[in-house]
Amino acid sequence: MIKLSLLVIAFFISLTPALSQDHGDALVSASIADSRTLNPILASDTASSEVAGLIFNGLVKYDKEINLTPDLAESWEIKEGGLAIIFHLKKNVRWHDGYPFSAADVAFTYQKLIDPKVKTPYSGDFERVRSLEVIDDYTLKVVYKEPFVPALSSWGMSILPKHILEGQDLNTSSFSRNPVGTGPFKFKRWRSQEKIELVANPDYFQHRPNLDRYIFRVISDESTIFLELQAQGVDSAGLSPLQYLRQTDTAFFRRYYRKFKLSSFVYTYLAYNLRDEKFTDKRVRQALNYAVDKEELIKMVFLGLGQPITGPFYPESWAYNHNVKPINFDPDKARQLLKEAGWSDADGDGVLEKNGEKFIFTLITNQGNEERLKSAQIIQLRLKDVGVVMKIKVVEWSVFLSEYINKRKFEAVLLGWSLPREPDNYDIWHSSKTREGEFNFIGYRNDEVDRLLTEGRRVFDQARRKACYNRIHEILYDEQPYMFLYAPDSLFVIHSRFQGIKQEPIGIGYNLIDWWVPKKEQRYSRVTE
Amino acid sequence: MKNRALISGIVFIIALSCVAAFAPLLSPYDPAAINQDNLLSAPSSAHLLGTDSLGRDLLSRIIYGARISLSVGLVAVGIATLIGLSIGCLAGFYAGFLDMLLMRLVDVMLCFPTFYLILAVTAIAGPSVFNIMLIIGLTSWMGVARLVRAEILSLKEREFIQAATAIGATHFRIILRHLIPNALTPILVNATLGVSAAILIESGLSFLGLGVQPPTASWGNILIESKSTLGVAWWITVFPGLSILITILGFNIFAEGLKKEIG
Repeated sequence: MIKLSLLVIAFFISLTPALSQDHGDALVSASIADSRTLNPILASDTASSEVAGLIFNGLVKYDKEINLTPDLAESWEIKEGGLAIIFHLKKNVRWHDGYPFSAADVAFTYQKLIDPKVKTPYSGDFERVRSLEVIDDYTLKVVYKEPFVPALSSWGMSILPKHILEGQDLNTSSFSRNPVGTGPFKFKRWRSQEKIELVANPDYFQHRPNLDRYIFRVISDESTIFLELQAQGVDSAGLSPLQYLRQTDTAFFRRYYRKFKLSSFVYTYLAYNLRDEKFTDKRVRQALNYAVDKEELIKMVFLGLGQPITGPFYPESWAYNHNVKPINFDPDKARQLLKEAGWSDADGDGVLEKNGEKFIFTLITNQGNEERLKSAQIIQLRLKDVGVVMKIKVVEWSVFLSEYINKRKFEAVLLGWSLPREPDNYDIWHSSKTREGEFNFIGYRNDEVDRLLTEGRRVFDQARRKACYNRIHEILYDEQPYMFLYAPDSLFVIHSRFQGIKQEPIGIGYNLIDWWVPKKEQRYSRVTE
Repeated sequence: MKNRALISGIVFIIALSCVAAFAPLLSPYDPAAINQDNLLSAPSSAHLLGTDSLGRDLLSRIIYGARISLSVGLVAVGIATLIGLSIGCLAGFYAGFLDMLLMRLVDVMLCFPTFYLILAVTAIAGPSVFNIMLIIGLTSWMGVARLVRAEILSLKEREFIQAATAIGATHFRIILRHLIPNALTPILVNATLGVSAAILIESGLSFLGLGVQPPTASWGNILIESKSTLGVAWWITVFPGLSILITILGFNIFAEGLKKEIG
C-alpha cells in the first residue's frame, strides 16, 4: 500500500510540469486614478507604484510568507554587527533594451535617491547610508552610520538604468512616461487618463510571464468600474463591501469571476490633537475609546468585512501584540472616566462641561470617502450618548493636508495609514517627527516609546524587535493618542479564466508571472495594432 | 382667477413650508437614529421610503431635508436680492462713471463659473449651512443688479420722478419710495427663480460632501450614498431626487404664474 501511494505521488509530481501553461491573453485591470509617473523612485501614489512595480525590480522583495528574499540580488551578507550589507547581484540580468544590469546601476540609483534635487519621498531610509562601494560588477558593499534594521527592506526600492538616465534631470526626464526596467513586463504605451499597456518581457530572469499583456484601464468612477465588470470589459477590480456581499452574489459573477477577500495593510483611526487642552488628559481619551463600539462600526460600515485593531500594526504582522485585548464597549465606564477627569453635566443640557467650557470638538475628514463619513456619523452618535458633542467637517483632500494637517489646525481627524510590511513606526510616533509636513502631526511624545522606536531600528534580532514593538503597542493602546478603529478587508474580483492564482499571506500578486489562461478561453489575441 | 400656475405654485410652496416647519411632528423617526439591524431596507409599512445604509429612516431625513433646502433657498436669495438691488439702484440712478464701474464689476463676476467659485470658497472657508447661504448669496446677485438697473433707467425718465425731483425730494427718498416699489415685479419673479437655483446649488454642494455637514440631513447629502447603492437600493436615489425635482418645479411654476399675473 505504501508503495502504491508513493507511486501515485510520483506520478503527480512528474505530471505537474508537463501540464502546459499556455501563453497568451491579457489581464485588464481597472484603476480609479491614472498614474502620475512611472519612475519608481518618484512615485508616491498607489496608482503609479502598482504599474512601476511590474516594470522594475529591487535588490530584495517579499516572498509569499512576507519574508525578504533575493530579487535582483543573488544573496546578501550582513557584516560588522549589522553596520554593513554586502549584496551579490544576479548575473545575466538585462534591461528591457538589452543592456546588461550591473552594480553601477545600483550605485547610480542610490546617488539619485539621496540627491536633494530629486523629488523623491524615499530618501529617508538612504540618508543613513555612510558609504556605498562598488566592489566589482556584481558585488556591492553598503555601510551604515549606525545599525539600521529597516535597511535591508529599503533595498526593495526599484533600481534605475544608469546607461539611460545618466546626466538627465530625473524630475523632468521623459523616462517617467517611457520607462525601461528589468521586470517581468515591458512598457508599451500610455494613453493619459485612458490606459497603460505593458507586454511580457521574453527575457525575464525568472521566466517569461505566461500572460502576453497587462493593461491598466483608468476608470475614474467606482460604479462605472462595476458596470465594466458586468460587461466583462475588465478582468480585475476592487469591490465595496456592498458590492462584494450583495451585488456580486449572482449567477453571472459566480460563473465569470473569482472573489477575493484579503486582510489589508490599511487601518483607520481617530487622532486627537494632543496640543488641545481637551485631549491632554489620558483618561478623556480612554473614555472616548470606551464610548465607541468598533464592532458596530465594522458591522455597519463594512457589513462585517474587517477587523478591529488595537495598535499601529496590521493584525497579521509579527509585530502585532495579540495580548493587547480590545476593551469592551462600555458607555458607563466612559462616563465614569470623564467624571474622574473633571467633566460633568452641571447644567443638565446633556453636554459635559469643565470650568464652564462645554465638551464640543470638530472632527475633520476628507471628502470623497464614504466609509469614513459613515463611521464619523456613528461615532458622533455614540459620543453624544456620553455627553460629548462631536461636529463633523468634510474637507477636500489637498486643503485637508495643507491647511489642517500640516498646519496642525484641527481638534481631531479621521484618517488611515497604509502600512509597509516593515513595522518600523518611527516617523509616526517619535517625538522628533512633529515638524510641519512630518507624520507625527498629533504631537505625541512619550520617552519610553521614543527609546523603543530607536531600539527597534537598531537591533537585528527579531525576538528583541518584537519585544520593542509589542511594548509600543501596549503603551499606545493604554495612552490612546489615536482611537484605533479597524482594518477593513481588501475585496476584489479576478476573472475566472485566469489559472494559477494562489492566496498567500502576502496577497495574490506575488506569482503574477505564473498566472495563465488556457488557450480556448483566451479573450485577447496577441495582435492588437 | 384663472391663473392655475400661480395657484398650484402657491399651494405647493405653502405645503412645503408646512412640511419644513412641522418636521419634528411629521417625521415618523429621529432622522439621525441609526439602526444596525435595518440597513438598506426597502420601502415598507414601517419605513415608507425605506432606510439608508446606516439604517436611518429615509422619509424622516427627507422631511428634515426640506428645512435645509427651503432656508438655504430663501436666505441666499435674500442676500442676493439685497446686494443686487443696492448695486442696481446706484448704477441706474447715478449712471455715468459709477454705472460703468458697477456694471463692469457685474461683468467680471459673471465671468466666473459660479459653481466652481463656490466650490473653491467652501473648500477654504469650510462647509456649513451658514457659509453656503452666504456664498450662494454673494455669487448670485448679478442678475438682480442688471434687472434693477434697467428698470430704474427707464423709470427715472418718467414724469412722476421728475415731479418728485422738482419738489425737492432727496435721492434716497426717490429711490426708496418711488423707484424700488415700481421695480418690484421683475425682482419678485427673479427671486422666485433664484430660490430654485439656490436649492439646486446646495444639493450639488452637499452631494459633493462640501455642503451641509452630517448628521444634518439635506437632500443633497442623502444622495451621496446613491452613487454606491444604486444597484441595490434604488429608493435612496429616487426619493431625494424626486424631492429636489418637485421643489424646483414648484418654484418655477410659481414664478411663471407670477409673471403671467403681473406682467
